[in-house]
Amino acid sequence: MDRNQIAKWLKSPAKMANKYSLHAVYFCTGCGIIEIPPVITTRWDAERFGIIPVATPRQGNLFMITGYVSLKTLKAIIRTYEQMPDPKYTVGFGSCPINGGMYWDSYNTIKHLDRYIPVDGWIAGCMPRPEAVFIAITHLWTLIDKGKADGYLRYQENYAAYRRNQEMLFAELEWPPLYPCDSIAEEARK
Amino acid sequence: MIPSLQKDLEATFKGVEVTVVEDSRMSVLAPRDSIPVVLRYLKESGLDHLALLSCVDWIKEGKFEVVYVLTCYMRNDTDYTSDQRLHVLLKTEIPREKPALKSVIDIFENAEPYEREIHELYGVHFDGHPRLIPLLLERDYEIPPFRKDFDTRKYVEETFGSIPPVEG
Repeated sequence: MDRNQIAKWLKSPAKMANKYSLHAVYFCTGCGIIEIPPVITTRWDAERFGIIPVATPRQGNLFMITGYVSLKTLKAIIRTYEQMPDPKYTVGFGSCPINGGMYWDSYNTIKHLDRYIPVDGWIAGCMPRPEAVFIAITHLWTLIDKGKADGYLRYQENYAAYRRNQEMLFAELEWPPLYPCDSIAEEARK
Repeated sequence: MIPSLQKDLEATFKGVEVTVVEDSRMSVLAPRDSIPVVLRYLKESGLDHLALLSCVDWIKEGKFEVVYVLTCYMRNDTDYTSDQRLHVLLKTEIPREKPALKSVIDIFENAEPYEREIHELYGVHFDGHPRLIPLLLERDYEIPPFRKDFDTRKYVEETFGSIPPVEG
């Protein structure tokens, strides 16, 4: 253990433990997922940074969106994100989730991921190298330290707005509306 | 193989135009109603693999061109070097207004997802298909999106451009 961090560990052990054991949801989207196997296996070995992939979203707290997001995938992403326990962190990987990338004029691909679910950080590039993943993770550590990786809190605060954007794409969401948000969503629509 | 097949096809079916593209590759243009019989005939002549079913929108001519790409399975190692290799494009033209075609699932079972895909992207109806429900798309489109008169830019502007940012 780094001796310089002992004070931090004593001050908020839960936060530090959470920070150094990121469990990535193994969710494959688009072409970016091709960079993830080298990241988690011996060549770059993400476990040095405490990251392991997990099988289900209910065990994970790091969600990497690794490529273009089609409408059908967006539906799955929203469901997956809502199943993850707090605190949870989302990272957009590659240029497609940031602004659509080369799918800017596509009839079936969304442009800005952060209008549907909150995103804590972006990795730009097409494709980003595996090293970029680790740079992003160290940045995410800094954000967690400073309390700025608060996407899950922003999702709770602005749920009505996120839900409105989701419903603009999917007229018939198949999951039921949440109780307190109904009236807020009505106001937001007006 | 190809010259004999060409002769057979032209002798057996009316209105079939055969173009030999290469030694082992040819393109067959058949009228719309004779597609199932020609396809069955080609299957029995050794072209037992429907590799792809595709569609082209010729908007100026007012036609859709549906293309069946047929090849044959290699059963022996020697087939790769011999003249057993065949590659046939079976094409048919249908009008753009109310396009419909007979389903070929009873001949090639793997045509099912291809026909569903063409139905949702081009709006071609396949008679006798058991479930013509959307395969890939999530929203309803007024014009099927792969038709040439579908204005992608306008659609993207109206759909994704109208969604506001949540914060900031």
